[in-house]
This record gives sequence, structure tokens and C-alpha cells, in this order.
Amino acid sequence: MIEHFDPRRQTNGVDFSKADFSKDYGTPAARPGAASVSVEIDGVRLSVPEGTSVLRAAALADISIPKLCATDSLEAFGSCRLCAVEIEGRRGLPASCTTPVVEGMKVTTQNARLAKLRRGVMELYISDHPLDCLTCPANGDCELQDMAGSVGLREVRYGFEGENHLAEQKDTSNPYFTFDPSKCIVCSRCVRACEEVQGTFALTIDGRGFDSKVAAGQDEAFMDSDCVSCGACVQACPTATLMDNSVIDHGVPDRSVVTTCAYCGVGCSFEAQMKGDKLVRMVPYKGGDANHGHSCVKGRFAFGYASHPDRLTTPMIRDSIDQPWREASWEEAIGFAAQRLKAIQAEHGRESIGGITSSRCTNEETYLVQKLIRAAFGNNNTDTCARVCHSPTGYGLKTTMGESAGTQTFDSVMKADAIIVIGANPTDAHPVFGSMMRKRLRQGAKLIVADPRRIDLLKTPHLNEAQHLPLRPGTNVALVNALAHVVITEGLEDTGFVARRCDTDAYQRWRAFISEPRHSPEASEMITGVPSEAVRRAARTYATAPNGAIYYGLGVTEHSQGSTMVMGIANLAMATGNIGREGVGVNPLRGQNNVQGSCDMGSFPHELPGYQHVADPIARGRFEARWGVALDDEPGLRIPNMFDAAIEGTFKALYVQGEDIAQSDPNTQHVEAALRSLDCLIVQDIFLNETAKFAHVLLPGSSFLEKDGTFTNAERRINRVRKVTPPVAGKQDWEVTQDLANALGYPMNYAHPSEIMDEIAALAPSFAGVSYEKLEQYGSLQWPCNDANPRGMPTMHAIDFPIGLGRFAITEYVATEERTNRRFPLLLTTGRILSQYNVGAQTRRTHNQHWHDEDVLELHPSDAEVRGVSDGDWLGITSRSGQTVLRARLSERMQPGVVYTTFHHPGSGANVITTDNSDWATNCPEYKVTAVQVEKVSQPSAWQQRFSAFDQTQKNHLESARQETP
Amino acid sequence: MSAHPDDNLISMLNQIALNLGGGRDEESAATATCRHVETFWARPMKQRLMASLARPETGLSATAHRAATLLAKRQEERRTG
Ligand code: SF4
Ligand code: SF4
Ligand code: SF4
Ligand code: FES
Repeated sequence: MIEHFDPRRQTNGVDFSKADFSKDYGTPAARPGAASVSVEIDGVRLSVPEGTSVLRAAALADISIPKLCATDSLEAFGSCRLCAVEIEGRRGLPASCTTPVVEGMKVTTQNARLAKLRRGVMELYISDHPLDCLTCPANGDCELQDMAGSVGLREVRYGFEGENHLAEQKDTSNPYFTFDPSKCIVCSRCVRACEEVQGTFALTIDGRGFDSKVAAGQDEAFMDSDCVSCGACVQACPTATLMDNSVIDHGVPDRSVVTTCAYCGVGCSFEAQMKGDKLVRMVPYKGGDANHGHSCVKGRFAFGYASHPDRLTTPMIRDSIDQPWREASWEEAIGFAAQRLKAIQAEHGRESIGGITSSRCTNEETYLVQKLIRAAFGNNNTDTCARVCHSPTGYGLKTTMGESAGTQTFDSVMKADAIIVIGANPTDAHPVFGSMMRKRLRQGAKLIVADPRRIDLLKTPHLNEAQHLPLRPGTNVALVNALAHVVITEGLEDTGFVARRCDTDAYQRWRAFISEPRHSPEASEMITGVPSEAVRRAARTYATAPNGAIYYGLGVTEHSQGSTMVMGIANLAMATGNIGREGVGVNPLRGQNNVQGSCDMGSFPHELPGYQHVADPIARGRFEARWGVALDDEPGLRIPNMFDAAIEGTFKALYVQGEDIAQSDPNTQHVEAALRSLDCLIVQDIFLNETAKFAHVLLPGSSFLEKDGTFTNAERRINRVRKVTPPVAGKQDWEVTQDLANALGYPMNYAHPSEIMDEIAALAPSFAGVSYEKLEQYGSLQWPCNDANPRGMPTMHAIDFPIGLGRFAITEYVATEERTNRRFPLLLTTGRILSQYNVGAQTRRTHNQHWHDEDVLELHPSDAEVRGVSDGDWLGITSRSGQTVLRARLSERMQPGVVYTTFHHPGSGANVITTDNSDWATNCPEYKVTAVQVEKVSQPSAWQQRFSAFDQTQKNHLESARQETP
Repeated sequence: MSAHPDDNLISMLNQIALNLGGGRDEESAATATCRHVETFWARPMKQRLMASLARPETGLSATAHRAATLLAKRQEERRTG
């Protein structure tokens, strides 16, 4: 008998073969841990977990039963009847997809009676289906075609003259896929995918019987409906009805490579499906441990930027930024850069240069850049753009719980009973995780959102219970203290957990502090603007739920008290015992794909890879031995310190890999002044980004499709990035860094990124067990991965904390210096939207522009009214730092007094207005709070006019270089 | 932008002292602040901070001043080791 071990049920770390994920088992796997039952299918005896459908059991035994409306990403529906089987002792021919196996069941999947029934079903379908298989885009990749073949359909007796849907019009409103209703078999897989997988509920089956059809929204075009273009319906459709435009244009792909999305911190796995060396489509990979076969519009569709004509393809150099660019060979450009760096160090000292690693590049590339800086530059002036987003997470979590990372897997949310979301917008910024969270909310988990805006998560269809705490920007710490005050004063803390797991002295001090009446919700209502009763209710909901989980984003970190707030969250979780098992935890939602990895890889000036302080002689000694140089034992400059030093004239050269600090960092005019004062700026990027306009050396980067390496997502999961096409400029990013090191006289000789990972494993204890071989074997690994946890650690802090006992931190609320007054009466806060990614360099070069082609200023109608502003007016927004102009959008999502914008488009200049206030502990900028005034204007701001002039000049400089080449 | 080049450092240190001061007496707040600077600040920033102690009006809060003084002492000890 076959003892059936269901591969789809395996979590990370248990043997599975890739082939399993390419097969459709028809219905989802049964609940983990179910008892087994034995069945006999076509004479084959096997045992499967209880709850498995007959269809799935057969597929596990490699017996394929025809099916159309079933697929293993969706619950069984039982509408097409094609999967009928005979079961001994039962009457009729039950649908195998909706029939669970029971002990001793005997099933027959093929006989004359079944064949006749199936042919009859297919005949009906085909009589209302165009017979254009040869010219159909799904030809060769169509389940209807396969099933017609499988059931042996030879004739259609009904004729095609009867009433049919063959003349239905196509809907081509979505730029990425086409809806061709003439081919629809009304299996409702798309409708169910939109509900069950994505959670958007944009599709319905309209009408009944013959008239039933798939409709988006209120029978609108896809683009006008609630559809967010995630692609789940396209993926689920068994016919050509919902089809990727890229497949319509280029044909069905013939091979695929599994890799990782390079957009957000969810880190979805994809099959890059190729035809020759052309990437035809990205299909979310069912075996992906973070996404389980789901995706969002960015990862699934917005990959066209990689082949955009704006890609830089040749290195370029120039002596000053007023000059046109000159194309150069790799050798010449690297030589030019190295010679300049050496000359500057000779004149201004070892500490006069530095570099910035990328949170978008791979772990291996990031590791190499910081190694170049520490070993070849000879200083610790390395930093990363994680500085401007999640550096407070590192500080706050390390101080309280001993590790600079989130505690859970994404899947853990499926066990949470109460979910607090603070300053995060998962449906837009972490969409695939947002879908999973929505699924859990539909199952009944309670939701608490602490955010100045009414985020979309609060509009989740079939939401059980939701509480919104609309706090004033900048008052997070007062709110978290009030929540903790309720927990303590109402006796809701988990005293057992605290006694066992936390440092008693620190706890007692914190307990005395937090119990003070000034932290009560009633006292802090004046500060936060949140009604005290709402705070009490939220605290009770969280503290009394069996499992309470906290998710937070940049709305927590990007404040003057970002680090304090992270500690406040950790306090709350520890006090309620919500640490160390599934369904609970403290979960930072990271912005960019490899923010976690860039922090892990030692990008920060004070920490070597694996969060080992540069002053720690033992750790530093190991690096010195391996790298063969003495390392500086003092921390180096952080990004804002580098800018200050550049303006003062002590910092002269900067190497920036894959970051756009000129657009992403606050107080743009200050940043521009700093960049202009550099004698040598080396920018390595795939496009002429805003920073590159100030550069002297331009080194073309490679996109994620063009390199090998790894990314680490927000759940500490290390995923493989695999090369699918050759780098457009001939080199992967790590090769360029290596060349620069060699030109500076520091030898680096890696043949493949796997060798870099081996070096990381040898030096960073939490990566000791990581290797490419193991990643091949297990798919992904969650660090810490070492001798004690050879397959990684999905849930952290289960037994103890890396610092032994958890440490409660005193979190005094200190109001930000950025306050409203008569001159600047409104508070500006910033954020992101689904279709665009960060500075937008990639997504702006795709059809995602259809959703968001400019940044707008959202403001409440009452604020608009007093200023005589209507929707669509041009608004001048002024802060202490500068002025910019954006179009107005009136929105009830905002509270009066708070305005909101995104920073996906460089010309919007959102960061011209943000100030250089920052988190006290980490200097993470306070993007989320800027006092501003808003008024109607008729022309772009002075900065915007200068910006477009400079932009044009720099583009011309690039153009002239390109024209000069014969 | 700051009036004096050191203003930025001064206000950073004041912020750190303020945030680490909660629930601590002045001595341990100053020690914690000093440790923070030792751990996170770059060498030139530390040097500038210590040099600013010589100015008549430092602009430092009491805790921050004590932390900066402690830093100077500890750096000296480290140097003479
Ligand atoms: S693309 Fe996604 S959101 Fe849009 S209809 Fe399909 S499943 Fe629903
Ligand atoms: S569009 Fe595709 S998935 Fe949806 S009902 Fe029609 S055939 Fe089925
Ligand atoms: S952008 Fe994020 S959620 Fe979307 S596919 Fe990529 S990793 Fe997944
Ligand atoms: S596959 Fe079972 S009824 Fe359609």
C-alpha cells in the first residue's frame, strides 16, 4: 500500500520535489495533522489524510480524473460534473472534487458509464465555445482542450447554430490581461480566486442558467471595477477567457525558472516563464513559502522595465556634472573611479569617502559593497536606505528582545485571533500578505487599525469586527503607552510569561512607569485625539484574545520616536505573553524586497554582517583574519551624517549601488547640495535615476532577472534569485563591485555568488547553516539557520530570547519638534500605493502607470473648503524645508488637519517638503510628520522648475553620449 | 540648516538624553546616553562633540552635558588604555 505523504502540506524544511508544485491536485490539501484513512482507487490502495477529496487522493496516486471547475488553489465547487466517479455502495456518480474520502472507500474513475457522462458534459461545453483552437492564445495551455482530448470527444451533436455567446465583445481595459467572454465556460474559478485567494470580491456570476456570465463589479470594465489586477483570476482560468496579454502577443512559454520578486518585502516566488530568451510571463509559484502561488500586480505583471529602452547599457564617465557624459569601457570606467577614490583619500584622508548599499540588490551584492568599504576603503562609512525606513526596528527589537527582526512567518497570521495593524497599509504595500490577512479576518479574527488614515484593510469584505484608532500623526508612543496602561491597570497582563521570560527588574520599573495615571487613555486623549473608550476597548480585545499579533510599518518607524515606538510595541507583546508561538508576535512589514537582507549583511556603519558590533574584538578579529586587513573599530557615518559632512567639505566621494537617495531621502534641497559638493560620485543603477544626475561615474546595473543571488524577506526567509536572462551591460552587480575592489588594490576573486554566501555563512553566526545547496534542497530558509536550527527558525523566541530574558524598555512620550502653528497649520504624512513601488523608477516604466500617473495631495473636504480648493486644483504645499506643487484630491479617508501624499514620481518633490528631523536613536527620517500650509497656485514651484530644467540638461548629457557612439 | 555646524550634533545628543532619560536618574541616564554615542556615532562626530565642550554655551542639557563629559573621559582612557 502507498503510504501517502502529501507534499503540498509540507512546510519549509521537509523534503519535497519541485515537480509536485507543477501539478494540479484538484483540491487543496487537507488540514495538517489529520488522521489517515485508506482508500482504493482503480485497484490502487493508498492512505491519505482525512478530509482529502477523492479527486486529490487519485491525483496523489497519479490517477488523473478529468476536471474543469476544480483546481487546488480553490475550495471545491462541484459545478462541471466532469470529475464524476463511481463509488462502491453509493448510488449515482458523485463528483470526486466535493466527495471526501472515507475509510475503506473503493473508487472507480474510468468505465463506459463514466466515459459517456463526461463526453456528454464536454459536448455541451464545446457547443457554446469557438472552435478556433489553432489560433487561440491558450493553444497548448488550455484545460478545456486537454479535457476534450482526455474524454475522447469526437463530435458535437447540438450544432453551433443555437443560441450562444460566441459574439461577445472582449474587455481589453486592463493593460495586462484580456477578458474574452466568448470563451468562458462559467466554471467560476475566477470568481472564487478573486474571493478566496485575493479577497477583493471584484467578480460575480451574473444571471442564471444559460444567461449566466462572469461580470466585473456592476458589470463594468475590469479597469472600472474594484479589480486590483493581482492576476489570481487569470491564473485560475482554465481557458483563454482571461489571458495574459504577453501570451497573446508572444505565444505560450516553453520553459521556466523559479526566482523571487524584486519589489516588496513579501518576497513572492515566481516562475519566470520563457520562450527562448524572452521572458513571456511571471507566474506566482505554488511552492513559494511566502506566497503559496499568489501575487500582486507589481510582481506578476510589472516586469517590462527590465527591457525598457531607458536601461543603461554602457559605463559612463565625466569630470564634472556640468559636462556631457562620455561612454567608456568597463575597464576605463572602473579605473577612472578607482583612481579618483585613491586621489581623494590621499588628499583628504581615509575617512573622506564612503558608500551606500542597496536594499534592492541581493544579499551577496550588499555584503560585497560593505566589504569593499570596510576592507578596501578602510573605513566604516557604509549605510543603506534601510536607514530611512526600518533602522528603528533593528534598534528597538534588539534592545528589547535581542534580535533585529520580526518574530513570525507570514503564515502565522492564520492563527491570530486579534490583529493590530499600526502605521502599515498591507493591502497596498504588502499585497500578498494583505490578502492572507484578509482571509484570516473573514474567518473571524478581530482587527484593530491604528493609523491617521482609514486604510483599505478596514474595508475588507465580510470583515468580522474592526476598530479604527485614528491618531494624530506623531503621537504613536502616547497611544502605545495608553494601550499598555490599560493592560497593566486592568490586570490583563500574562504574569506567567513575564515571570518566566522577562528580566524582573526592568519589568518592575516599566510597570511602575506605565501605571502612572498620565499614561491612561483619558490623559492621552488630548495628545492622540483617540477617544479613551476606543483605546480601552482595543487594549482589551488584544490582551484577551488567545493569540494577539501586531503588524507595523513605516508609520511606526519614520518618526522622531520611531525606535521608542518599536520598543513600546515589544513591551505590549511581552506583557501580554504574545511572543514565541504561531499566531502572535511583533512583525515589521518591510518596504523593499531586501531591507531585511541589507541590514543582516552589515550595511550599517556600526555593525559587521550578522549584527556584530565593529568594536567587538572577537567578531572583528574573525573578519580581519578572513579578509586579511585590519578593520576600524569605530562606527562610520550614517547617510544623513555623510550629507552633513559633504556640505562641510570633509566628505568627498560616495559609491552608491542601486539606491536613489536624491529622490527617496528627506529634505531634497539639502541632499542635492550634499551631492553637488562631492568630488566623485559613483552611481551603479539600471536607470539614470535622480542621484545619477549628480554623478561622475555611471555603472550600469543588472535587474533581478539578470543575476544569481538571494533576497531575505520580512519573515527572515532567504529565497533564491536566479538568473533568467544575461545582464544587459554584461556584468552582474557583484562583479562590478569586485572589479572596483581589485582596481583599488584589494583582491576579490569570487566566481559565483554561492561563494560569497559561503563566506557569509562562515562569518555571521545566524547564517552559519545557509548554503546554495541547502536552498536548492529546501526552497527557502528562515534565519537563524545554524547547527542548533539546521533548517532555520520559523518562529523566534519560543524558548528564550537571544539576550536570555526579554527587557522591557521605558518609553517616555516626547512630542516631535515638528508642530503645527499659524504658519503651518496642517500635518503632512506620506505613504505608498499598490501599483507603484518606492521611487517608482521601475513601475513608472510599466503599464502600472495606468493606475497612478502622478502623486496627488489628499486632503479632507473641510480643509479644502476653508481654502476654496476643489478636486483637481493645483496646490502649493509649503513647509519649513521647501515648497512643491501637487494636484488636490478631496478624500474622507483623511482626518481634518492631516494631508497625505506619495513619493513615486520625482517631479512631485514630495521630499522637498519633508524635513531633516529624525529618529533620536537611528536618524531614520521623520517622513510621517511635516507641518505644512496648503494654498491654490497656478504654476509649479521654484524647485520643480529648477528640477525640470536640470532633469532636461542631464538627459541631454546622456543622450549626447549615446549619439556619439557610432 | 543649522546656524553653527555643531548645532545638529548638540540637538541630536539632547534628543538621545531625553529619550533615554525616562525612568532613570541623571547618572544612569548620562551613562546610557554616553554608551549610545559610543555604539552608534562615527569618530569625527564624537570628536566634534567632545571639542564643543570647550565652548562657553554648549546648548547641551544637563544629562547630555554629563554624557559628553563621560564620553571624553572614557575615550581618553581608551586611548591611553
Ligand atoms: S485580477 Fe485579481 S482583483 Fe482583479 S478580478 Fe482578477 S482576481 Fe480579482
Ligand atoms: S473566465 Fe475563465 S475562470 Fe472565469 S468562469 Fe470563465 S472560464 Fe471559468
Ligand atoms: S510586490 Fe510584493 S506582494 Fe507583489 S508579487 Fe512582489 S513580493 Fe509579492
Ligand atoms: S471538477 Fe468536480 S465538479 Fe468540476
